[in-house]
Amino acid sequence: MSFLNSYIYYIGSFGLIFIGLYVILIKHNLIKVIVGLGILDTGVNLFLISVGYITKGTAPIFSRPGIDSEYMVDPVPQALVLTAIVIGVAVLALALSLAIRLYQHYGTLNLRKIREQRW
Amino acid sequence: MVNPVLLIVVPLGLAFAIPLFALFWRPAVKYIPPAALVFNLVVSLLLLAKVLENPLIVSIGGWRPPFSINLVAGPVGVLFSAIIALVGLLVSVYALDYIKEGPTEKYHMLYLLLLTGATGVVLTGDIFNLFVFFEILCISSYALVAYLRERSGIESAVKYLIQGAVGSSLLLIGIGLLYGLFGTLNMADIAQNIRTVSPISVFVPMVLIVTGLGVEAAIFPLNAWLPDAHSSAPSSISAILSGIAIEVGIYAVVRVIFTIFGAQSFLLFLALLGILTLLVGEMCAFSQNNIKRMLAYSSIGQIGLILFALALATSYGVTGGLFQLVSHTLSKALLFLAAGYMIYRAGSMEISALEGMGRKMPLTCLAFTIGAFSLVGLPPFIGFPSKFLIVRAVLATKEIIFVTFLGLALLGTVIEGAYFFRVVQVLYFKGEKNNLGSKEAPVTALLPMFVIVALIIVIGIYPKLVTDVLSSAASELLNRLDYIRNVLG
Repeated sequence: MSFLNSYIYYIGSFGLIFIGLYVILIKHNLIKVIVGLGILDTGVNLFLISVGYITKGTAPIFSRPGIDSEYMVDPVPQALVLTAIVIGVAVLALALSLAIRLYQHYGTLNLRKIREQRW
Repeated sequence: MVNPVLLIVVPLGLAFAIPLFALFWRPAVKYIPPAALVFNLVVSLLLLAKVLENPLIVSIGGWRPPFSINLVAGPVGVLFSAIIALVGLLVSVYALDYIKEGPTEKYHMLYLLLLTGATGVVLTGDIFNLFVFFEILCISSYALVAYLRERSGIESAVKYLIQGAVGSSLLLIGIGLLYGLFGTLNMADIAQNIRTVSPISVFVPMVLIVTGLGVEAAIFPLNAWLPDAHSSAPSSISAILSGIAIEVGIYAVVRVIFTIFGAQSFLLFLALLGILTLLVGEMCAFSQNNIKRMLAYSSIGQIGLILFALALATSYGVTGGLFQLVSHTLSKALLFLAAGYMIYRAGSMEISALEGMGRKMPLTCLAFTIGAFSLVGLPPFIGFPSKFLIVRAVLATKEIIFVTFLGLALLGTVIEGAYFFRVVQVLYFKGEKNNLGSKEAPVTALLPMFVIVALIIVIGIYPKLVTDVLSSAASELLNRLDYIRNVLG
């Protein structure tokens, strides 16, 4: 159990990453693939947060006397995740707007049917 | 004293000013990217002379490097930013008349953002910052591929976006693992501590990062998006994607492997990937009937050759690789720019539709022919000294495996010659003899093409102009200890 306790965030985040990859690789519907990209992004963000997380830690900005530095959560990964979330939102928004255009042209979102270009 | 930060800040600011400008005075918008890129070119050239002596390290916010985001304006960074500004400027002049349809202000904004991202990637010294600039580059290129809103453009943009997004997620996981191991994101600081942990725990982030960057760099198994995206984008964007975006990807891969990881044992595998990329690209290019797809596959082949030369990791090899990179950027930009107006006049991308173009558009076809000959490696064009340097570097290693690879690379060049000569033959020697009175491309297109032609010939005849800069860039890439000492002081 102690293994689970100490690694639960990593297990969860890599679980989400693999679910996301599975959805992207297996699903035929573009909307589902975009959902998969969202899950993948979430997994990566959770992983970055858990790299710097300390159980029952506090944010370093609340530095009142009596808190040692080892009870403070590393703020750098959180800053990274903020940036990564913004980037993820941009990618998802662009993907959804392309999906609208794709549907207007082809009348379907099934990626197996949209195959006009090949090697 | 010019600050390298201006190379990123000025185009970024102007890019976001473009929509505001468009509200008041729409016709002026298209002159903003050339203005920003002239500025970047001048600043890069001013810096280039200075950084050849010692690199400039700019710490943002006044903190010392391991604790701040820093820019490293060494010979490599400034050389790349000068190339990006030069080719970007020429292509933006070309786009003044070429881009007429659609929401043009969005085109110009995204174009400038793409080049800002590329400049940021080559100048940054912080690995997360590299990721952010890479995403700026990627997202604007996804949107630009779909700019024409045609069936093919949208389809390939979707493919490109899905593959690119998975690649950047892998890159981010790799960065997260590195941060977990070392507690720092500064590339020099990671490089300094890389030997303090076991090789196997460094191997996983390295593979993730190289795979993530390899999607954008179009290294062999990861390049399925490239021919679609490069062939269905507007020609000016194809020129930038082929000439700059994938080169920046290669730069990032090489910087990560050489400087951060110092992974000597990985290089043979990289050379093998380079040769595979080269052969796959050239063989697919040979069987294409669509001229832009042919050029796109030829870019894959050239990327393979560049990667192979860089993976030699000798002074000559890296110089040759960077030289080939410069020559590919110039030649391929020229080819796409010339092909853009040829396709526009012919109304089709099929090679057979271009019959007799040599008489209808003599200047454009001359530019295309020079680009093709340069890419194949004929003297007196720039492709000859660059390929010659690679051959010499490989023979100097005296290793049987690299010489075997070189034989395969030369085979690739023969195939390349075959398909380019076929196109040149169609342009000049096929079709009916009478002149149909078709128009030449406009001056704004001919001017950038002939500036590139002039550069190709001048550097081809007198390669000494660039080899000094290239060899000091090569030594920056190879001497990771110097890099660490320069940044951390």
